[in-house]
Amino acid sequence: MFEAGVREYRETYWTPGYQPRQTEVLAAFRLIPQPEVAPEEAAAAVAAESSTATWTTVWTDRLTTLERYQARAYGIDPVPGREDQYLAYIAYPLELFEEGSVASMMASITGNVFGFKAIRALRLEDLRIPVALVKTFQGPPAGIQVERDRLNKYGRPLLGATLKPKLGLSARNYGRACLELLRGGLDFTKDDENITSQPFMRWGDRFQFVMEAVRRAEQETGERKGHYLNVTAPDCEQMLERAEFARTLGSPIIMHDYLVGGLSAHTTLSRWCRRNGMLLHVHRALHAVVDRQKDHGIHFRVLAKWLRLAGGDHLHTGTVVGKLEGERETTLGVVDLLREDFVPANRARGIYFDQEWASLPAVLPAASGGIHVWHMPALVDIFGDDCVLQFGGGSAGHPQGSRAGATANRVALEACVQARNEGRDLAAEGPQILKRAARRSPELAAALETWREIRFDFAAVDTPDVVRAGHTA
Amino acid sequence: MRLETFAYLPGLSAEQLDRQIRSILARKLVVGIEFTAVPDPYDHYWTMWKLPLFDVDDPAAVLAELDACRRANPGAYVKINGYDPVRQGQVVSFVVSQPERGT
Repeated sequence: MFEAGVREYRETYWTPGYQPRQTEVLAAFRLIPQPEVAPEEAAAAVAAESSTATWTTVWTDRLTTLERYQARAYGIDPVPGREDQYLAYIAYPLELFEEGSVASMMASITGNVFGFKAIRALRLEDLRIPVALVKTFQGPPAGIQVERDRLNKYGRPLLGATLKPKLGLSARNYGRACLELLRGGLDFTKDDENITSQPFMRWGDRFQFVMEAVRRAEQETGERKGHYLNVTAPDCEQMLERAEFARTLGSPIIMHDYLVGGLSAHTTLSRWCRRNGMLLHVHRALHAVVDRQKDHGIHFRVLAKWLRLAGGDHLHTGTVVGKLEGERETTLGVVDLLREDFVPANRARGIYFDQEWASLPAVLPAASGGIHVWHMPALVDIFGDDCVLQFGGGSAGHPQGSRAGATANRVALEACVQARNEGRDLAAEGPQILKRAARRSPELAAALETWREIRFDFAAVDTPDVVRAGHTA
Repeated sequence: MRLETFAYLPGLSAEQLDRQIRSILARKLVVGIEFTAVPDPYDHYWTMWKLPLFDVDDPAAVLAELDACRRANPGAYVKINGYDPVRQGQVVSFVVSQPERGT
């Protein structure tokens, strides 16, 4: 018989000691219940509302086997130093998710629960995506090794720059700015995220002038060059039209803003890139709206995991040392999640679960935002070879112009790589290495003089709380 | 002409080259030597100088092969690669002879 009424969520969805299956999606939520709500009930409510339940029992519950589809809250840990906060661990059966769909995961796990009244705030800290689900995704169109093989660039970070001013250059002047940076020694130039197709520079004009600059720089230097042509567009048809034109012009790489465009549009583009041998640079405008506040939202490591599944060859991650938020351990955790094939749980980095990627191609982290030549030793030390370092202002702001600025960065980069390979400690000897290289490079000497005193020493907002694993499991 | 990694530094001295080769060998990478008369950024395949130097961990042996390659191909561009069998790709590559730079 059907019994109508409202039952406590914990009766069904709080299952302490439950051992999650290898095929289940696991989520770690930071949870702040309302004062009168017990943490177990709040955790159960999250599990319930993000899987099978609604607020009341319904007769149609009896037409299915809820045990097969329900999520289970299986553990809770208090967050040290934050009396009202808990880490809640929830397991979701594989059957809840559509194959190859980030949208499906987002809609379930980060849906209604974030507005649930019984919960004051909620943040998705980490998500274990089981191999069974990983294998249903294409992942990055090329991956790090294939990108290096295509472009013939080995044993060093790649160098890029975002063109400045962000807005207002004509297409022809914009191409000029690209050319100067590329011939000076950068590998890539980049559209800023807010460059799409405005009246002052329509996308078709930009693509043509920029590709002339790329070809010219390749002829002059003998090196492969590229420009991240932003194809983020008002609709998917126009997005693909722009991608096709970039391919026709011979561009090796295009760019998309994955959160702004949306994960479904992004996945379409990523699959197009795989089919067409195109690299995909991924920008992350909007992310800080969602991920920066510790109490509520989605941590960037989850957004980064979703991107690796949907596919992208570069993703912006923060720099640790530049002008934008990016605490060191947290950023390194994200970098591992993008580059490694297996990432073990590491609570000091906010990584709550082992993550196996099962040979999914890797993503190059892009460090960008307020970095300049004095940061180079630290950046090479922190990120290693597999990254893109983007110096926008730090190239075009050089007193002798973009070309000299690009050369200064390239000389600094190569001096750091050479010194590191010789066994020298970049963290300790960085300034000395740069100054020595500057003796043979007037461009580097001028850059070192220009940016001598610039620092961005602000406390990070999004720092990891090291939550001890003592939960009921 | 700038040919990728280390192209913006002064040419490597003998001592500096030796240190770079040692770092490749210390990472257990397989050294390969390739050469060409005409470099082209779209050319992925320079000519191999013999097979990659499998099981070679002596920097002097690498330098000897490099010299042999240079002697046999005067005026050629020559590069050294470090191949990682785990990653199944090159992870190091730099040009050590570039005629117009006098190296």
